[in-house]
Amino acid sequence: MAITDLPLFSMLRARMHWHQERQRLLSENVANADTQNFRPRDLTPLQFDQATTPMLAAIGLERTKPTHFASSEASSSQFQSSRSGGFQVRTSGGAVNLEDEMIKVAANQMDYQAATTLYTRSLGLIKTALGKR
Amino acid sequence: MDFLKSIAIAASGLRAQAGRMRVISENLANADTAASSAGVEPYRRRVATFKSEVDRALDAQIVSLGRVATDPSEFRVKNEPGHPAADQNGNVKYPNVNPLVEMTDLREAQRSYEANINVISASRRMIQRTLEILKS
Repeated sequence: MAITDLPLFSMLRARMHWHQERQRLLSENVANADTQNFRPRDLTPLQFDQATTPMLAAIGLERTKPTHFASSEASSSQFQSSRSGGFQVRTSGGAVNLEDEMIKVAANQMDYQAATTLYTRSLGLIKTALGKR
Repeated sequence: MDFLKSIAIAASGLRAQAGRMRVISENLANADTAASSAGVEPYRRRVATFKSEVDRALDAQIVSLGRVATDPSEFRVKNEPGHPAADQNGNVKYPNVNPLVEMTDLREAQRSYEANINVISASRRMIQRTLEILKS
C-alpha cells in the first residue's frame, strides 16, 4: 500500500492537481489578455466525490492467477497525466479582466499553499506514528 | 510539470507584450518623420496584433505577436511652406501618430507585462511549496 492510497493524501493530491491545472489556465488567460476574440477559461470548483474517482481509478496489472501479488496502483500514475487531469473546464465569459485574473492567481496560490501545508502536517502525523521524530 | 507550463505560457505573454512595446516605441520615435519630398507618404503608424495559438509541445494556448498592421487613418497636415516636403499649397503631411494614444497603449502593455510577471512569480512560489514537502 502506497502512501497515496490513504484517502487524506489522495484528496490532497487531487486538490493540488486541481490547483496546478487552474494555474495553467489562469496563465493562459493573462497571457492572452490582449488577444482578440479570446474567451478566458477557468476550472469548475473541485468536487471530491467526482474528482477523486478518476484519480484513484488507476490502471493496474491484471492478476491472472490468485497467487499473483496485487500490483501497486501508484506505479501507473503515468497513465493519468492526461490533459486537464479530468477536471471540467468552463469559459468564464466576456473579455479577460486582468484584476480578476490576478485575484484568482493569488487565491490559487494561497489555497495551494494550504494544501501543501496540510500534506506536510499529515506526513508529520505518520512520522509521529512511526516514532521517527 | 504543469507549473513550468504555466511559466512558459506567461513567458509567451511577456514576449508578445515586449514586441508590442517595440512597435509602440517605433511609432513614438517616428512621430515627426515627415515625408522626404512632396507626394511621398510619411511614416504610417503601425499597430501590433496578438494571436493565440496552440503550442503542441506545451499543449496549451500561448500568445504570440501576430501581423503588425498599419493604421489606415488620415495623416496630420501642417501648413509649412518652407519645408522641403511641402506641396504647392505649402502643406506637409506628418505621420498619423498621436503621442497621447501611444503613451496610453504603452501603459496598457506595461500593465499586461506586469500581470504576466505576477503569474510567473506565483507559479514559482507554488513550485517552492511543492519542494518544501520534501523538507518536512
